[in-house]
Amino acid sequence: MKKYDAIVIGAGNGGLFSALSLQKNGKKVLLLEKNRQPGGISTSFKKGRFEFDVNEQMLSNYGNLSHPGELYQLFEKFHLNEKVKTIACHDVFHLHVKDTQENFIFPKGQEAFIEQMEKYVPGSKEAMVTFFGLCEDVREAISHYPKEKPSDMDIFYQTYPNFVELAPYKVIPVLEKIHLPKKAIQILSSFWVFFGSFIEDISFIHFALLVDSYVTYGLEMLEYTSYDLSTLIAHEFLALGGEIRYSSCVDEILTSDQKVTGVKVGNEEFSAPYVVADISPAVVYGKMILKENVPSSSCQLSNERILGAREFRVFLGLNQSLEFAPMVHVIVPTLNQKVLHKNQNSIFPDVLMGVVKNNHDSSSILELGGYFFQDRFDRIVKKENYYALKEELASMMIDLWESVTHLSIKPFIEEIAIATPVTFARYTNHPDGTTYGYLAKGYDNLLPRLFTKDKERKISGLYFCGSFGNFLSGFSATYFSGSEVAKEILEEKE
Amino acid sequence: MKDIKMNEKKKKSIAQFVDLFDARDEIIKHSSKNLPTYQYPANLLAQELHPDSFSVQLVKIVNETNDIKSFWFTRESKENFPPFLPGSYITLQVEIDGRIYKRAYSISSSSNSLKEYRITVKKAGIVSRYLFSSAKEGNIFLMEGPFGDFHYQSLRDRKEVIFLVGGSFLAGCYPMILDCLENHKIQSLSLIYGTKTVNDILWKKELDDLQKKYKNFHVTYVLSEEKRDDYAFGFISEELILKESYQGKSFFISGPQKMYEHLNPILKSLDVPNELVHHEIFATKPEDLASVKHNLTVHYRDETYTIPCYENETLFTSMEKNRVLLKVCCTVGVCGFCKSKLLSGEVKTDMSGLRHGDITYHFIHPCVTYPLSDIVLEIF
Ligand SMILES: Cc1cc2nc3c(=O)[nH]c(=O)nc-3n(C[C@H](O)[C@H](O)[C@H](O)COP(=O)(O)OP(=O)(O)OC[C@H]3O[C@@H](n4cnc5c(N)ncnc54)[C@H](O)[C@@H]3O)c2cc1C
Ligand code: FES
Repeated sequence: MKKYDAIVIGAGNGGLFSALSLQKNGKKVLLLEKNRQPGGISTSFKKGRFEFDVNEQMLSNYGNLSHPGELYQLFEKFHLNEKVKTIACHDVFHLHVKDTQENFIFPKGQEAFIEQMEKYVPGSKEAMVTFFGLCEDVREAISHYPKEKPSDMDIFYQTYPNFVELAPYKVIPVLEKIHLPKKAIQILSSFWVFFGSFIEDISFIHFALLVDSYVTYGLEMLEYTSYDLSTLIAHEFLALGGEIRYSSCVDEILTSDQKVTGVKVGNEEFSAPYVVADISPAVVYGKMILKENVPSSSCQLSNERILGAREFRVFLGLNQSLEFAPMVHVIVPTLNQKVLHKNQNSIFPDVLMGVVKNNHDSSSILELGGYFFQDRFDRIVKKENYYALKEELASMMIDLWESVTHLSIKPFIEEIAIATPVTFARYTNHPDGTTYGYLAKGYDNLLPRLFTKDKERKISGLYFCGSFGNFLSGFSATYFSGSEVAKEILEEKE
Repeated sequence: MKDIKMNEKKKKSIAQFVDLFDARDEIIKHSSKNLPTYQYPANLLAQELHPDSFSVQLVKIVNETNDIKSFWFTRESKENFPPFLPGSYITLQVEIDGRIYKRAYSISSSSNSLKEYRITVKKAGIVSRYLFSSAKEGNIFLMEGPFGDFHYQSLRDRKEVIFLVGGSFLAGCYPMILDCLENHKIQSLSLIYGTKTVNDILWKKELDDLQKKYKNFHVTYVLSEEKRDDYAFGFISEELILKESYQGKSFFISGPQKMYEHLNPILKSLDVPNELVHHEIFATKPEDLASVKHNLTVHYRDETYTIPCYENETLFTSMEKNRVLLKVCCTVGVCGFCKSKLLSGEVKTDMSGLRHGDITYHFIHPCVTYPLSDIVLEIF
């Protein structure tokens, strides 16, 4: 049986980065991936002259050399930045509101952002300044987050008063507390679409971290696709002596005495004291570990958690350039959160994220991503109507995009591909094909996850990363989760 | 930064903060201890639509023409076949003399009937000859799929459609034509269908019946080796396409490599924009290849194989002959299944199916790669 220091299951963002970090620190790592290439959903596919990105093609928290974000700094440790080519987006995103026909621009940089908000909602400036101040407090505190419940809460409170005050709260109560005008709250809340959870469920801490990094560093569009990043990291991992096996779907995680001992792929066994799973705990506990060795509290936790949003994506290759700068466009039916909440039962994803990318040959790519919450898609899809439903929903999404942006695209469609939760389920094996891991909600928000992760590890040596990990979902969040898991393993080994 | 007080009393805030940790425990304590569900409707549907691989039984062989036969299959499990988009293909795995071969075949039966899949095969090389001469009703095979990208897509394609098809390649187009006529509110559909002689025409009666049933469907038969009244003579020509008032219509092309080479300049001179032309995937075999021998070294995990390879054979063919396992699906450089890293050597290859990230790190598709020197490959 081959022996390793650590085995990583799944070469998604989290798996790739944990494998790279461990290998870089002298560990002997085996990375096992069921598909034929690295990346998980950070992958791409070709159709005609187009290469479409399955994941977002936007890096957040990245910035650039002179103004590096956390992701840039993380990449720098592995000398990756010189090989990552990006195009800076001028604005963070543009928001289009269907019912009121309003459009909002979210510029990059805190000052510009605050000024712009003041234009939309006069009188919002002071509260916006306070908001970004709180964001900084949160970032400072979280970078020193305690591994467990702080032993002396009074001291902890003295050091991080705002953090302790705000941590238990959702977004809206805090924004109200700092007297941000109602309209400004509505506009700012539209960042919720980047979470895959509704604003009512998002903790202020998580919101502050994300908005702050989006506004401060903007979004960087990858020159090609996220698959380039995946192949780059896989390449670096191999160059350090790491071992990758594709077409290797792990069937079993071997354990004994509540400790990981290795994994099994078909009839082949590999041994290692550490296993990093870039896959869902539900799959791990549900079928990969011998039934009698599965801790009951791990089952209880898995059973209690709720799956994040399911995605429905339409990839369009257009035979024209679009009169849009490279940018994320967000379409929401309304800014009224109550109405929006009712809409979550809609059979049609009426919240869209559209990314426009113009190519050199005056063609362009438009990717539209819609979200289904809970099991909405499951309820309308059947084997018999699957292909027809795909076309029908894609058509509705394109109509919505056209009606809100007043730009016709249907006549220019040269290539089209449609991915549904079923497509993602097939590709990732994630429960119900979710690409957002578990819903960030209540007890399962960022902080509770970080605070409880050690305590909840009932099988020693078993770690989770990626969208089902502790840092929640998102492009850069999943890289961080991989790097953090590697750190924990290295610390534990010492 | 000024301090924000969410509560009047600090004590309450601290209590709330501490509760963040404890609430989770409290909630989880009451949850079910059953093993978690990992298969949701989307997972189950994914397996139904794209089963990993499945056993099929050959239930009927039909002689279609001199060198074309159809093979009908049912699933050994008696389940229905997965629904498929017309134009899709499956792969069939065949063992001949202890070697495993996998080939792609278009599904030629209607997408409405899923009890059976039909494939329609032209006598060509090793696998098709095996199917022709040795396969018997009752035989069991492994099938994978459906796969593919050659479909009519109503969001992309026009309501007026022209099919240019050669010989056995009608196989995959036939269910597309049925689907277009039955389901897509097509305004007009013209099929220009080239074969050598009248006897080589596939499903002539079915096509003629469809023409009677659907007034918007019209077939032009073109014979290259037989002159007959009521049939065009020669190859599919500019003149025949002009007759279809082709402008603004979507084209679907499926035929042997020679047919593309013949049609591409015609469509270009007619100013048909690329985006209106869709063709079935196929591999272009470079011309003038000599049978020069080289060595192919393959690293696959802990194994290393060294086998002969030839300038006029793909690396995949060499591996297949020498029983070096390579995962393939399309075998024509499109699907990416066979993706391997070229560690050293010079090759002639088709890169059109490779993504930018693959090209950066020297990945190739051995199914469309011809060696020009000794080659070292790594399969991961
Ligand atoms: C998406 C797709 C769909 C396909 N659908 C069909 C189908 O519906 N019916 C079908 O008969 N084949 C189809 N093919 C081709 C098929 O996969 C095999 O290539 C074919 O059966 C030859 O395999 P073989 O083992 O008999 O020949 P091999 O031993 O592999 O060698 C065959 C030789 O014949 C040549 N050749 C391959 N295909 C043809 C052909 N169609 N006509 C003439 N020469 C050929 C090759 O260049 C080679 O020199 C399809 C291929 C693809 C990629
Ligand atoms: S088998 Fe499809 S690319 Fe080679």
